[in-house]
Amino acid sequence: MLEGKAVVEDTDMPAKMQAQAMSAASRALDRFDVLDCRSIASHIKKEFDAIHGPGWQCVVGSGFGCYITHSKGSFIYFRLESLRFLVFKGAAA
Amino acid sequence: MSDEARRGPAGAAQAMLRASSEDRKPVGAGSPAAVAHKIQLKSADMKEEMRQDAFEIARIAFDKHSMEKDIAEYIKKEFDKNHGPTWHCIVGRNFGSYVTHETNYFVYFYIDSKAVLLFKSG
Repeated sequence: MLEGKAVVEDTDMPAKMQAQAMSAASRALDRFDVLDCRSIASHIKKEFDAIHGPGWQCVVGSGFGCYITHSKGSFIYFRLESLRFLVFKGAAA
Repeated sequence: MSDEARRGPAGAAQAMLRASSEDRKPVGAGSPAAVAHKIQLKSADMKEEMRQDAFEIARIAFDKHSMEKDIAEYIKKEFDKNHGPTWHCIVGRNFGSYVTHETNYFVYFYIDSKAVLLFKSG
């Protein structure tokens, strides 16, 4: 069980949703190796699709930059252990 | 005596000028040719023409910017402008992702040692 605490770098999500993102990340890290970024991202994205409807995206890694457009109130970027997490919902079509 | 005294500074000056001109030539000749970025396609659900556009825009982005977020910004904005919104772009050495994209609008490739993920969603 990981003892590290997640640190939010930037977000426009309500607090409850933030907590869900960070706990999903913790569970993913319990289940997958820290080097398996894709499986970790998959776990988080699928959980958010299930809870909050389709269209979520997730990027996990220790070295990346990005530029995205997201729906209002659906973006969080946080740090947990050695990884960075980006979770967002793409703008509605 | 006075002749010798005059030659000294003059000689030194000439030597300095020669050294200076000699120093300049290698610098001028040494300018490096532009380095082409090597691209390696990893995964794509995108037509050839659009894929090539992505590669070209990525090359320009890497020439213009050095920070990953600036490179990603340039690429995403070019695609929003040229191919309609809404695109997302991730650039970096180490990341994994799981995304939902529109059919025919996804490409993942390496340019030099960095990965670029570009996809349309929404």
